[in-house]
Order: sequence, then structure tokens, then C-alpha cells
Amino acid sequence: MLRFLARRSLGALVIIVLISAITFALFFALPAQPALMSCGKNCTPEAVALINKNLGLDQPVPVQYWHYMAGIFTGRDFTVGHCPAPCFGYSFSNQQPVWGTIVDRFPTTLSITLGGAAVFLVVGVGIGMIAAAFRGTWIDKFFSSLSLVGNSLQIYFVGVIALAVFVSGLHWMDNPAYYPITENPVKWFTGMLIPWLVLSIIFIANYSRMTRSQMIEQLGEDHVRTARAKGLGRRTVFFRYAWRGALAPIVTIFGIDLGSLFGGAIITEFTFSLHGLGRLAVSSVSETDLPTLMAVMLVGCTAIVVANIVVDAAYAVIDPRVRLA
Amino acid sequence: MQPTTRSRRSRGRLASSATALAAGALVLSACSSGGGGGGSGDKSEGPGTDKNTSSNYSIGTKEDSAGPAPEVPGAKKGGTVGVLQRDAFLHLDPGQIYYSDMLANQLLYNRTLTSYKVDDKGRVKVVGDLATDAGTASDGGKTWKFTLKDGLKFEDGSPITAKDVRWGVERLYASFETDGPLYVPQWLSGDGTDFRKALPDGPYKGAHLPASVLDTPDDKTIVFHFRQPHADAPFATAMPNIGPVKAEKDTQRKYDNAPFSSGPYKVADYKVGKSLTLVRNENWDAKTDPVRHQYADRFEISFGHQYADSTRRFLADQGADKNTLSFTNAVAPEMTEKVLGQADTKARRFVEIQPYVDYISFNMDRIKDASVRKALAYAMPNGQILQQMGGATAGVLATNYLSPAMDGYKATDPFGKKAKPAGDPDKARELLKQAGKEGQEIVYAYPNTDLQQKVSVVVTQALERAGFKVQKKEIDSNTWRTAIAEVKNKFDIYRTSWGADWPVSSTVVPPLFDGRQIADGAQNYGHLNNSAVNTEIDRISAIPDVKKAAPEWQRLADKIFTEDVPGVPTFYNTQFSLWGSNLGGIRYQPVYGTVDPTGVYVK
Repeated sequence: MLRFLARRSLGALVIIVLISAITFALFFALPAQPALMSCGKNCTPEAVALINKNLGLDQPVPVQYWHYMAGIFTGRDFTVGHCPAPCFGYSFSNQQPVWGTIVDRFPTTLSITLGGAAVFLVVGVGIGMIAAAFRGTWIDKFFSSLSLVGNSLQIYFVGVIALAVFVSGLHWMDNPAYYPITENPVKWFTGMLIPWLVLSIIFIANYSRMTRSQMIEQLGEDHVRTARAKGLGRRTVFFRYAWRGALAPIVTIFGIDLGSLFGGAIITEFTFSLHGLGRLAVSSVSETDLPTLMAVMLVGCTAIVVANIVVDAAYAVIDPRVRLA
Repeated sequence: MQPTTRSRRSRGRLASSATALAAGALVLSACSSGGGGGGSGDKSEGPGTDKNTSSNYSIGTKEDSAGPAPEVPGAKKGGTVGVLQRDAFLHLDPGQIYYSDMLANQLLYNRTLTSYKVDDKGRVKVVGDLATDAGTASDGGKTWKFTLKDGLKFEDGSPITAKDVRWGVERLYASFETDGPLYVPQWLSGDGTDFRKALPDGPYKGAHLPASVLDTPDDKTIVFHFRQPHADAPFATAMPNIGPVKAEKDTQRKYDNAPFSSGPYKVADYKVGKSLTLVRNENWDAKTDPVRHQYADRFEISFGHQYADSTRRFLADQGADKNTLSFTNAVAPEMTEKVLGQADTKARRFVEIQPYVDYISFNMDRIKDASVRKALAYAMPNGQILQQMGGATAGVLATNYLSPAMDGYKATDPFGKKAKPAGDPDKARELLKQAGKEGQEIVYAYPNTDLQQKVSVVVTQALERAGFKVQKKEIDSNTWRTAIAEVKNKFDIYRTSWGADWPVSSTVVPPLFDGRQIADGAQNYGHLNNSAVNTEIDRISAIPDVKKAAPEWQRLADKIFTEDVPGVPTFYNTQFSLWGSNLGGIRYQPVYGTVDPTGVYVK
């Protein structure tokens, strides 16, 4: 297992470095000038040159890239002072240390992701299993239809409706907001409830449909039939044999979804005016803020890669037939 | 001044910013103006119509400059004011502030030599803020002397002296201060970026400007010796960066996170990009301040609220949202009808004209024939463009280059836009025929926003009706500003915009039409370089009385519009604001085009 993890981690590192280099290069292919963001209204070419120098953009792109990547591990010195490792530089747009901003935004993303994932995994898989257990009955049809409806909805639509009804209309819930769980767990929960529910509506549909189809497939497998023939109870067959077999693809998709959400649930954050990594990513693109863009991209990329490694490792636990060489 | 965008903004700077603002104000047609003027329910007499509004602007007296500010009727102390903003503030350092959202915000913690005193009728006086009056000119307007009031203090209780104001001005010479307005240092030491050579490190290495440039003979007196006469110096010294910075508290770049307050509030907590909390500055003395109040205990400002979100919350008017406003968020276009139709919003909304003007600029390097440019101006469907942008609460149809928010504005209409808001294709066709340019091809560039795509349709149709062949070029909105500000761009016409820094047209005509300012990134988008115009700009700039200069600027702007035609104005932007019902004292700040937070109280 350790060898497997080491090999996958090494591969992941190469992927992250490659993606960072591509992102960096693509940024400089843009016709936009970051200096214009800090140049005031009466901007002149001389002022642009001065700002480019301040931002370090007057150096060759490979040199800039090297300084950026090296700074993550060793820290960097800027005119504003020393930036300790992990140093992702200073934001072009607001001159703040990027790492501080990432650290500040990540808990919001983490809260949205973990809470939303818990809801959509439990409810989605649960509904899928019920539908599979009652295949062909009205229960199955009801849940299948429901998941179809969920699948066709969008967060920005459901979110706005939820706000209008539950917050502005009925006043059952507070306006969504992030409060640190360490400071006020109740406010954290109530502030996140609507985003979790809305985010999960979209994902529940996917998970219930996938679980249902996987379960139905597994229930028709030979080893399940054999288990039944041996006289094992319905519940044992369902959970111990069929569900375990159905779990692997669900875990795979869950890992990818979780990794993507860690990179920022952009639409959810915008819909509910939350400040997570997704919103930061969008603003860094529109502001041509390279250090922030790189940092968000690296965090997102790392999250996805790590999630994939965890999924691969989890396979061995879920399905003994899988061996980690 | 920069309108907020930030579509951060793309904060693709001014033009795109104004687009976003206008977009935010997008509404359906035929809406009447709501409240305003202190939330009284009546439309203020601010510069909201196309009448000559010169009388709305004046230089205040010493008495006008004395504190305290007139009490707001019914105002109470206490409570927390919530502020919902779409875009996070780029800066708190007054030296870096130029956008309208940050301009409104800095009023709460930053004082300047002079400031704008707005009364209930929307009339504006430039008064002494830190200074005892709006300044005394000598040497034909080249020298300006300001005397500080007694009792001025920073947030730590230490006195504000002329040396602190000097430090505030001198730090603008440092290379990191790039984003704010630079009128005063440029007037003192050199144009463009040349002024920095006079003090390359700012005041940080012990050097200072010589007394022949900036003099502080004692703790109360500060004297500016400009290179040229500047009649509008009292307006320039009202910009946020002409105020005090305490040397010991100047953390240079880091000052952007924690400015040291001289105003009624101070920074208690700032989470960059997320929120800002301002609390009472106990060392601010109301008796010294003719503009600001300190009614609320605190302001809690949060960012990331799209217009739809803030409008929904203002409309629902529940709980803490009753105590909430926005400096710059406009009513979301899709909710305009609902806002106007909900009776209880009448006393808590306003629609006011801003100093921002939308234009379609004509690239004179490519369209060299003035007749063709005139034909374009006649053909331009201003009314339809405004309709696409949202109609009556998004703006007012423009008839000339200057906004009604400018001192000396006259509603001249050389191309008959009032009579023919959809354009005059017959006249345009006739001009093209006379010039032998029928079927002239026009490359029309516009940013790929939803609104500008809609606008492009009506512009294209109108020009084609007039006999042009239009080639549309859609440009990514993030890179659009860079693309059109390139002197050698490949476009014939493109949408631009501009906002005055103060209500004197010296901040409009020179940057837009002075041929000596043509450069990549500069704002002479039409590339007009007419020596007669340049000479006239110099002549009017030298007029020592802004009131006398105002009609001259209007005359020159109209002359340029009629003879050179480097572009056509399409509409004047408006701000459509709504706020919570438990707030009072909200009025419009006509110079910034925002809600004025200085007199806000919780009922």
C-alpha cells in the first residue's frame, strides 16, 4: 500500500507541476494587461511599465514561473517584505498575500463541500437503494421520476427560488452566510443549510440513479444469486453482497465530485454570496490576477489528484479482488 | 473618477466599469423616479435632469466649512448599518482610491483638505474639511494656501498637522502608489509619471519636496505651488488622497489593509475580499467636520452580493436587512418593476444621474472623413441603445458630450437626438452620398456582455439603415479595454465611457480630446488631435474662475462634437438605489454618483 501511495503521489506531483506550467504559460497568452488593474484612470505607458516592474512582470516568463514555484517551498522576498513558505505571491489586484486569502476562503469551501457531500451521498445513495429494492413498483417509479426532475434543475435556479421562498417569503431560514464552526456551530449550521440542500438536490439525482442501476446490476450477478440460493437473508444479500459490489463506482464518482467541489463550488458560492475558492477563482480570472489564479488552480488540482489517490486506495478496502501492486 | 465595477470587476477599468454599472441599473421603461434627498420620498433637486445645473455647485465659505454638519432631522445615535456590495474593495489606502464604491466608503474614515457638502436639495458646495475654507489662491491661481482647523485628531488622539498632510501628499510619489488620482502631484512636479522623479522614494528615505513646491511653514499651514494655474484646486484637494497620513503609522503597501483614521469611523476588522467593519472613532470631533456625522455605532460591509441578492434583501426588508444599504449596488434589472410596484419602497429609493457618460467613439485614424463621422453620429440610435441598457432608470438619453452632472452643463443637441432618438438615417444617408461614401464599411467593436450584444443589434441595424455596411467584432469583456485603448487598433467605432473626477469639465474635455494625450491605454479613444482644440484646452484651463470656465468647456465640447466628431454620446448613466426601511439620512452623493453614507442613521 505504501509503495502504491508513493508511486501515485509522485505521479500526482508531476501532473500538478505540468498543469501549473501550462496555466502559467496560458496566462501570458492572454491579451489582457494585469498592470491596467492598478494603473488608475489616467494610465500612461510609463505608468504601466512601472507597475509591471512592481509586479515582477518585466522579467522573462520562465524566470517568473521559477520564482513563483520556488517561493511555494522556500518563501520569497518582495519589496513589501518577506513572504514565508508556502508563498504564492501577492495578489496583483489587492496586493495581499495570496496564501492568506486561500486560507481564509478554504473553510467556506470546505463547509459547503463536506456538508453538501454528506447530504447528497446519504440521501442519493439511500434513494437509489430503495428504488432498487422496490424495482418496478410505484416507489421505484416515484424516486426515478424525482431524480429525473433533480437532474434537470440548476443550482442558480433552485437557489434563487429557495431564497425567495424560505428566506424572503416564509422567513424560515437565515440568509446564507459562513460563520466559523469553532465560533458558533449553530450559526454555521443554519447559515450553510440552504446551500447544502440546494447543492445536494443536483447531486442527489445523479447518485440515486447511479446507485439504483448499480444495485440492480449487482442483484443480478451470479454471486448474489448464489448467496440467495444458499438461503441467506434478503437484508444480508442486499447489503453485504450487492451493495458492496455497487459501491466501487459510486466511490469513484464521489471522489472526483469531492475533489472538484474542493476546488470551489462556483455557482453555489455566487448564488448564495459566499466567499469560497470558487468565487476567488472567478475573480482572479476576471482581474487577470496571476498569483491568485495559480494558487486556486494548484489547490483545486491538488484536491482532485489527492481525491483520486484516496479513491484508488479505498478500492482495496471495498473490493478485495482489487490488489494494489 | 471610476465608477465601481469591478466587474472588477473586469475592473477592466473605466469603460467596462461603467458598463457594469449601467448594466446594474438596467431596467424596464417608463419608470418614475423614486425617493431620494434624504429618503424623503421626493426626487432631489440634484443634477438629475438635463437643465443647466450650474447653480447646484459652488465654492463654500469659511462659515460653510465650519463644523458640525447640520443635524439630520430625526437622526438617532446607535445601531449597526449593514452594507451589501457586489465587488470587494480593491483599496482602503486613500492614496490608491479612485473607484466610486471606495470613494463612498472612504468618506467614513478619511478626511481631506476639502470636501463636498451636499444639502437636502442636492446642491453641492466645496468646503474646507480639514482646512478652514476651500483654499486661498494667489499668483494667478498657481499658489494655493490651506489652513488647518483646530482640534483635528487621528484615531489615536494625536493631532493632525500640516506635516501629516504633507506626508500624505509626498507618499503619492512612491512607486507603489499607482492606482489613485494624481492631479496634485502632477500639478506640483510634472506630467505623466515624471512627477515621481521629484521624490522617487516618496518621503520614506527622509527626502521631502522643497518648500518652493510644497510648503508647511507651520503646523497649521500647507501651501501648494503648482506649475500652472489651477482654478479647480479646491476640487482636486477633495480627492481622497489629499489628506493626512501619520508617518509613524504609514506601513506603505500594507497601509492598504489598515489605514489610520481621521474620520468618524475607524477600521476594526478587515477581511480582504470578504468584509470590512468600521467602528466609531472616539477621537473624531464633530465640531471640526462640516460634512460627516457619527450616528451609527458601526458599519458592517460585506462583499460578493450580486445586484439580485441585494435587491431581494432590500425588498424583503426583514430582520437585520432593514438596517442595510449599498453604496453602489443598483436595483437588479429584473426586479425593477417589482421595486417600483411595491409601495413601501417609495420612501427608500432614488434614481439619480451620475457623472458617467456612455459614448460610441469613432477612430479618426481610420475614419478620416468628417462627413462620414457626422453621418455615424446622425445615424446612432441613442434612444434604442438606452432602451437596451434598461431605459429610464438606467440612464438619460445623451445629446452632447458633457453629463448633466457637470457644472455649466447645457442641454445642447447638435445632432437632434431628442427629436430623433432612433437616429436620423435620412440625414446620415445624405451626408454619405455627398461624401461619395455610400456603403462605407464600418468595423464595430463591442465587449461580449449580454447587454452590449443587445446594443450591437440596434446599432448595426441603425447604421445599415443609414447606408453603412457593418462588420461586428465581438471582444472578450476582460480584454476589451486593452483592445480599444490601443492606438493602432483595427476598429472603426467602439463603445467607451467616461466619468468626471469632479463636476468641472477640465476632468472630461482634456483627457478625452487633447491630442497630446494620445497613447496606448489613454482615454482619447477617438484619437482627435486638433491643434486648435489643444490650444483652446490650454486657454480654458488657465481661466482662474471655474464658474467662468464652465460654459467655455461646454462650448468647446460642443464645437468638437459638431466639427471634429470623434464620437457620439449615447446616454448619461443613472444610479437606481434601494435600501432597508429602518435607515434614515440616506442621500445621493452627486459627485461620486453613489449613496452618501455620512448622514446615515438607524431609526
